[in-house]
Amino acid sequence: MGVLITPAMVGQVVISGLLAGSIYAMVALGLGLIFGVMRVLNVAHGPLMMLGAYTTFWLFQRFGLNPYLSILLSMPLLFLVGLALQRFLVRRVVDAPELSSLLLTFGVSIALVNVAQLAFTSDLRSVEYLTGSFLVGPFALSKPRLAACAFAIVITVASFVFLRATRLGKAIRAVSQSREVAQVCGIDVQRIHLLAFGLGSALAAAGGSLVAVMVAIQPEMGQVYTFKSFLVIVLGGAGNYPGALLGGLLLGLVEQLSSLFLTAQVNEAVAYVLLVLVLLIRPTGLLKGRV
Amino acid sequence: MAMTSLKRLGKGLVPVAVAGVVLAALPVPAGAQTPIKIGASMSVTGTYAKPGSYQKEGYDVCIDELNAKGGLLGRKVELVIYDDQSQPATAVKLYEKLITEDKVDAVMGPYSSAVSEAVANVTEKYKKVMVAPLAATTSIFKKGRKYIFMIITPAENYLDGLIDMAAKRGLKTVAIINEDTLFPKASAAGTAEAAKKHGMQVVLQEAYPKGNTDFSALLVKIKAANPDVVAAGTYFDDAVAITRQMKELNVNPKMFGLTVGGDIPEFYDLLKQNAEYVYGSTQWDESLPYPGQKEFLAAYKKKFKHEPSYHSAAGYAGCLLYAEAVKKAGSLDADKVREQLLKMESKTAFGDYKVEADGFQVAHKMVMLQWQDGKRVIVWPDDLSNGKPRYPTPEWGKR
Repeated sequence: MGVLITPAMVGQVVISGLLAGSIYAMVALGLGLIFGVMRVLNVAHGPLMMLGAYTTFWLFQRFGLNPYLSILLSMPLLFLVGLALQRFLVRRVVDAPELSSLLLTFGVSIALVNVAQLAFTSDLRSVEYLTGSFLVGPFALSKPRLAACAFAIVITVASFVFLRATRLGKAIRAVSQSREVAQVCGIDVQRIHLLAFGLGSALAAAGGSLVAVMVAIQPEMGQVYTFKSFLVIVLGGAGNYPGALLGGLLLGLVEQLSSLFLTAQVNEAVAYVLLVLVLLIRPTGLLKGRV
Repeated sequence: MAMTSLKRLGKGLVPVAVAGVVLAALPVPAGAQTPIKIGASMSVTGTYAKPGSYQKEGYDVCIDELNAKGGLLGRKVELVIYDDQSQPATAVKLYEKLITEDKVDAVMGPYSSAVSEAVANVTEKYKKVMVAPLAATTSIFKKGRKYIFMIITPAENYLDGLIDMAAKRGLKTVAIINEDTLFPKASAAGTAEAAKKHGMQVVLQEAYPKGNTDFSALLVKIKAANPDVVAAGTYFDDAVAITRQMKELNVNPKMFGLTVGGDIPEFYDLLKQNAEYVYGSTQWDESLPYPGQKEFLAAYKKKFKHEPSYHSAAGYAGCLLYAEAVKKAGSLDADKVREQLLKMESKTAFGDYKVEADGFQVAHKMVMLQWQDGKRVIVWPDDLSNGKPRYPTPEWGKR
């Protein structure tokens, strides 16, 4: 009853894995940014992404706005939501024991999902914009996934350039390397924290907007991305921003290949086994150190 | 909000609805007796609130109809319903209360397999007949219970129609996929059985975890196996995602059928023209030419101002079947009513009824529908269909 696996099938699955991985990488970069700067694991990251998806859905539904253009609105909107969360809630637990920030963001996560259920109901929504695929030789390249991958790459690269080349970006990296030294050098750490949470949330929103065109939208869609993002930043090396990219692509590939060679039921197990192996062999993640 | 006040009512064990009391003063026969009380718990709030409410409304219409026709055994009929909040444990307590404190004369089933399974232990203990109109899991009826009766078609038979249509068209191979939970698993196993019985070859059978959203690798395998038919044991989210990704990966079976999800209007709302040609299965449809269907629809829409779902129709029919058994037995005695329910063969607005010695349903038929120009068209079985299947399904690029 088994199916003989051919190179073309492996190729198709590798394509799917890389397409999915590019989005994991972008979303995880947002989580990694927040963690790198504040040592806060934001459990509400996935639900923030869900809000991004709903932003795109409503703009598409009400005003017929192109879902890819809506990224220009969903990112700033969630940037503001991120600022507010940081300003009024997360700021209070930055220096508290790690459990406090976990509990706080866990609470925020539940609140966001429930508010979304009340406001938007649990009905599935979808943005029917791009469907189908380009056929290239034996491979089918899904249009919405290809588009999502392209946007994810652009946004991820832009984020790296921002972190590398701008004063603010350098300040963010400085704070994630050593808060005390950064402070001594005259960097306003509170402001950097705000900025990091805002940017992290905006990256989640971009992921939500892109995913909105691919899968059905519902209030609980985000949580799974929180876990995937955790996995990605630990795989890549917590606090190492390029590591998120590597971790994201790796997770996408592992999920797809294990579904192909084994079954879809084990792909999470395989991903977590990989995590354990990486932690055993290179406890700092694949790329160590912080950038 | 209305829901919270309902919940509060439910918590206070105040009946949320007592329907069927005939207010119009019918001529009451001399020496009138107290009304017959039929009790049930229903998922008025909680996760099953939507289908549960539909089922309750089906009961309401049934009780109205019985009373309009002079009641049961010359007595009026009254429904006593409590809210079980979709919790099996709560339902167990409520059935205990209904039977021991309220001393109802009869009970009807709650919503869902899970809740029915739980309360069946109570109704068996007190030897109460329970027609369970919305319990579809086979195992509930295979535990040696004597007083529980099934109305809807079990999970295993959901895709019989798809396989039957495929076999008649000379199709040879089928790929079966399903979510790895109780109901889809049972329907996938049943579909595999049916395929083998029809001489078809199952070229791939694989499960995926609940909540899966990326089906690429699974669909790549299906594409390589190149089956004539793809059958999927789904709920709803997965049904939508699989259909979409089949298009993305250009997977082109001649027929593609789903258990649950393919039958509801939201399926088309989400997928638009990509839902065309997809087959779905359903327990009931209001267009079906069943006896009493028109009367049921008219009474239901008049009372509730909205369309019934299959839960309503099953509840309505289950309640009428119980009443029919009581009439035939001439008594409310559980053993006498049970005897009638075991030997009855009836046709209701919900379809056929006939059970085996353990109360397991064998006559009720699922119907297969296909999305055609945005409409659900019943395409199987032939004697109930209102259209022909559009076959074969064209390749995605040619739709």
